[in-house]
Amino acid sequence: MSTVAIQKQGPRESFSRWANKHRKWVFAAPSMIFVSLLIAFPVGWTLYLSLTDARGSVRAESDFIGLENYADVLTDFDRFWPAVARTVYFTGGALLLELTLGMIIALLLWRPFRGEKWVRVAILLPLVATPVAVGMMWRLILEPNIGFANQALAWFGIPAQPFLSGQDTALTTLMFIDVWQWTPMVVLILLAGLTSLSDEPDEAARMDGANAWQRFWFVTFPLIRVTFITAILLRGIDALKTFDILYATKGKGGGSFHEVETLNVYAYGLSFDYNKYGESSAVLIVFFMLIIGCIWLLTARRKKDNS
Amino acid sequence: MQRHSTLRVAGIATAAILAATLVSCSSSSEQEDEGSKTLNVTLANHVWTDIVTASLPAFEEETGIKVNLTQLGEDQLSDQYNVKLNAGSDEIDVMMYRPLQEGKLFAQNGWLADLTDYTESNDEWDWSDFQSGPVASTTVDDEVVGVPTITEREVLYYRKDLLEAAGLEVPTTLEELESAAKTIKDANPGTAGFVARTGVAAAVTQFSSFLHSQGGEWIDDDGNAALDTKEFKSAVELYGKLIREYGPANVSTDMSWPEAMAIFTQGGSAFYTEADSLYKNATDPANSTVSETVGFAPFPAGDDGARPYNVPSWALGISAESPNSDNAWKFIEYFTSKEKVLEIQKEGVPGPRASVWDDEAGVETYPTDLAEAIKASAENGVGYDRPLVVSVPEAREIVGKPIVVAITGGDVDQAIDDAQAEFQAFLDDEK
Amino acid sequence: MTATLEREQQAAPMAPMHRKTKVRPYSVFRVIALTLIVLTFIAPLVWMFLASLKTNVDIYDSSKAFIFTPTLDNYDTVFGRANYFQYILNSFWIGFASTGLSLILGVPAAYSMSRYVMKKSAAVVLLARIIPGVSLLVPWYIIFSNLRMVGGFEVLILSHMFVSLPLVVYIMMSFFDSLPLELEEQAQVDGLTPIGAFLRISLPLSVPGIATAAILSFIFSWNNFMFALVLSGAETKTLPVAIFDFVAYASIDWGGLMAAAVVVTVPIMVIALFTQKYIVSGLTAGATKG
Repeated sequence: MSTVAIQKQGPRESFSRWANKHRKWVFAAPSMIFVSLLIAFPVGWTLYLSLTDARGSVRAESDFIGLENYADVLTDFDRFWPAVARTVYFTGGALLLELTLGMIIALLLWRPFRGEKWVRVAILLPLVATPVAVGMMWRLILEPNIGFANQALAWFGIPAQPFLSGQDTALTTLMFIDVWQWTPMVVLILLAGLTSLSDEPDEAARMDGANAWQRFWFVTFPLIRVTFITAILLRGIDALKTFDILYATKGKGGGSFHEVETLNVYAYGLSFDYNKYGESSAVLIVFFMLIIGCIWLLTARRKKDNS
Repeated sequence: MQRHSTLRVAGIATAAILAATLVSCSSSSEQEDEGSKTLNVTLANHVWTDIVTASLPAFEEETGIKVNLTQLGEDQLSDQYNVKLNAGSDEIDVMMYRPLQEGKLFAQNGWLADLTDYTESNDEWDWSDFQSGPVASTTVDDEVVGVPTITEREVLYYRKDLLEAAGLEVPTTLEELESAAKTIKDANPGTAGFVARTGVAAAVTQFSSFLHSQGGEWIDDDGNAALDTKEFKSAVELYGKLIREYGPANVSTDMSWPEAMAIFTQGGSAFYTEADSLYKNATDPANSTVSETVGFAPFPAGDDGARPYNVPSWALGISAESPNSDNAWKFIEYFTSKEKVLEIQKEGVPGPRASVWDDEAGVETYPTDLAEAIKASAENGVGYDRPLVVSVPEAREIVGKPIVVAITGGDVDQAIDDAQAEFQAFLDDEK
Repeated sequence: MTATLEREQQAAPMAPMHRKTKVRPYSVFRVIALTLIVLTFIAPLVWMFLASLKTNVDIYDSSKAFIFTPTLDNYDTVFGRANYFQYILNSFWIGFASTGLSLILGVPAAYSMSRYVMKKSAAVVLLARIIPGVSLLVPWYIIFSNLRMVGGFEVLILSHMFVSLPLVVYIMMSFFDSLPLELEEQAQVDGLTPIGAFLRISLPLSVPGIATAAILSFIFSWNNFMFALVLSGAETKTLPVAIFDFVAYASIDWGGLMAAAVVVTVPIMVIALFTQKYIVSGLTAGATKG
C-alpha cells in the first residue's frame, strides 16, 4: 500500500503525509492560535494602558507615565489593599467552608445507599443554576424587610438580620451564598477521589482498632490529598474571580462602604464607573499576577505530594 | 481509508477556522446593504420606554425606518455605552442617557453629536417649548447634545391616615417634618416616621434637596469643594437624624429607591422623600398596600426656603459616530413632539415641555396634590441634584460618604473633613 | 478494569455484613444529615419557584409564605414581554455553536497534548481560564467592532468558545491520559495512519468524555453573563442578560424577576437531571490523577 502511495503522489496524498508527520501541531495549533489571538491583544493592551494615565475614554490622548499607576495602586490603603483583603477573606473563607463541608458530605455519600442518585441530583442543582439568577433569588430571600430569611428567623424568635445590606455582614453573607452554590462541586470532586480508593487500608486500620476519626485522618485523608489540592485549585481560581453574584446582589462599587468590593469588582468599577483605564489596568495586572502566584504555589505543592 | 480520514481532519480544521470569519464577512455586508433605513436605538428600562415601544410600529410605518431596539437596565446600559462608545462603535444611533450622570463625560469624550442645527430646524416641533432647566443640562459648551425626555422633582410622599390619627398637618418646613416624624414614630411602634434612600451614591440626589434648602452647595462659585460649610453640615445631620432616629429599625445603608419605596408601600413609614416620577409605585394597588392613603406635598422648606431639584433624568442623544444621524433625529423628533410628550405624560411619566404642564389634559391623570407639588417644585427648583462634574459616579461616592456616616451615627465632623479634602483633590484633578 | 471487578467481588460479601451489624446508628445519622443537606441545597430554589407564582403584594406579605393563590401572571409577563422566546433560542444556539466548535478545536488538541505531553502548550490554552474577564471586554470590543462583528452571533460564539475551549481541553486531556495506548498502536500496525487511528479508534472510545465536555461547556455558555452583557445586541441577547429587564428604572418587578430566573434556570436543570452522570465525571476530571 505504501509503495502505491509513493508512486502516484497526488496532492491529497502528500497533504495526508504532511499532516500525519506533523500531527502533533496540526492537532494542537488551532486551539493555541485561537486562544493566543483572543488573549494577546487584550493582555498587551492592558499592560500598555497600565503604563499610561488613560481616563475618560480609551481613545482620548494619554501620556506614558511609567510605573506611576503601580506605585499609586500599591500605596492605596483606602481602596486597593482593603479590596485585596476582601478578596483573600472571601476566597479563603469560602474555600475553608467548602472544603470542610464538602469533605463531610462526600464521606456521608461515600458508601452506596438507596436513593443515592436522587441525593446527587439534588446536590447538583445549585451548581448548574445560572449565577445571575441565583444572585437575584438571594437578593429577594435576604431582603431585610420583606425577605423570607428574616421571616423564618422571626419564627424562632431571632431578631432580623441585615444580611446583604449590612456593612459588616454583606461579604460574609456572600461567602455563604458561594458556599451554597459551590460546595456541591467540592463534594463531587472529593467523592471521585474517595471512590477510587481501595477498601483495604481502611479495613486494616479498622482491624487494628482505629476509630472513625483516626481512620479518616491517618488513612483516608492522606490518600486523597492530591484530589484535595485539585479541589482547592479549581475552586480557588473561580472564587478569586467571582463577579456575577457580586454584581447581581450589590451592583457596582460593592455597596455604600465598598463592603464587598473585591479586586475584580474594584477593577471593573475603575474601568466602567470611574473611567480610569490606566489605574484599572494596573489593578488587573496585579490581580492576574496574584492568581498566577496562587496557582504556582498549589501546583508546586501538588507535584511535591505526587513524587 | 487513510486519505479519507486525513481529509476529514483537514476539512474540519479549515472549516472551524474559517467558519467564523466567513459568517462575519457575509453578515457585515448584509448590514451595509440594508443601509440607513435601519436605526439602532438603545433605551433604558423605563415606563417611558414601554410606551415608546408600543408606538414603534406607527413610527416605522410613517417613516419607513426600521428600528432595531436594544433595551437594558440602567447600570447595564451605562456599561454598554462605556464599552461601545470607547471602541468608537457606529452600532449606536439613538441613545438614551442621563444628562446629569453621564452627560459631561460623554460630551467631553466627543461621544455625543451636536444637535443644535436639528433643534432649530423645525418650528412646529418647537425647541423653545422645552423647560430651560432641563435644556441647560443637555447643553454643553453652547452645543445642544441631547433632548430631554423625562423630568423629575423631589416631593414629599406621606401617609394621610397616620397624619390624621396623630392630628398633624402636612409639614411645610423641614423642622415640622422632623417633629412630625418623631411624633408618629413614638405613637406607632413598628412604623417609621421617615424613610429615604441610604446607599452612598443613591442618597446623594435625594439629599441634594435638603442641602439646597438649607442653603448649602456641593461646589462654591470658584469651583472649590464646599462641603465644610455649616449649611452642608446641618443638612447632613438632619438627613442622618431623620433616618437614624425616626427611620425603620436596623436600617440598611444600601437602599436605593426600590428598597426605600418597598418600605413605604408596605406601610412601614409615614414620610418618604423621593422623585415624583416614581409615584405610580405608591398609587398602584398591585404593588402598594397604601395606595388609598398616600398623599403628596411639595418638598418642605429649609433655612433657605424650599429648593428641591427639578432635573431631566433622561434625554435622547445621537452618537457622534452614527452614520445615520438624519434618521436618528427623525426618531427623536417623533417621540419628543408636543403630542407624544403629552401622551406619555398622561401615562404618568412627567415630561420636559412647558406646554404639557400648562395643559389641563397633561395633569388630569395625576393625583391633584401631586400635580400641585410638582408645580411648586418646578417654580423654585434647582437644575441639578448632584455635583456637576465629569466623573459623576466617583464624585457621588465621595460626597455621599458623610451622609451614610450620619445615618449610621458615626463621627460626622471627621467624615465631612475627609470628604472635603478628598472632593477638593478630586476637583483639582479634574480641572 | 479487571482490577476493579476483582475488588468489587472481594468487597461484596463483606459490605452487607457491616451494614447489618455495627453500622446502624451511623445509618440513622446519615439519613438525617443527608436529608438536612438536601433541604439546604433545594430550599432556596423552591422558594424562587414559589415566589414566581405570587403577585408582588403576596411576595411582600409574610403571612403568605407558603399559602397563597398561585398565579401564572408572572410567566405571562415574561413571555409576553419583549422576545423571551427569542432569547431562549439565542441562548441555545450560542450554547450549541460554541460547544460544537470548541469540541472540534479542543478534542484533537487535548489528544495531542496528552499523547505528546505538551505541558507548556496546554498551559497556553488553560491561561484562558484564569485571566480576569474584565480585562478582555474593551479590547475585544475594539477588535470585533473593527471586524464589524459586534451585535452578531459570531462574536458571542467566539467569546463563549473562549470559556468552553479550556474546559474541553482540560477534561479531554485527563480522559486521553487514561485511555490505553495499545489499541492505537495495534491499529497503526494494521495499516492506519496515526491520524486515522485517532479518528477510528480513540475518538469512538472517548465518546463518554466528549459528552461530559459538551454538556459542561454548554452549561457554562448558558450561564455566562459578563461577555454577553457587553457583546450582545438587540437580536442576540441571551437569557442571563435578559433577566435585568425586570430591574427597571421605576420599579423592580420581583414576581417577574423570579419567573425570569426560573425560566433561565429550568432548562439547564432539566439537562443536568438527565446527564448528571456525565457532569459528575467532567467536574471531577483530573481530580484523581496527579
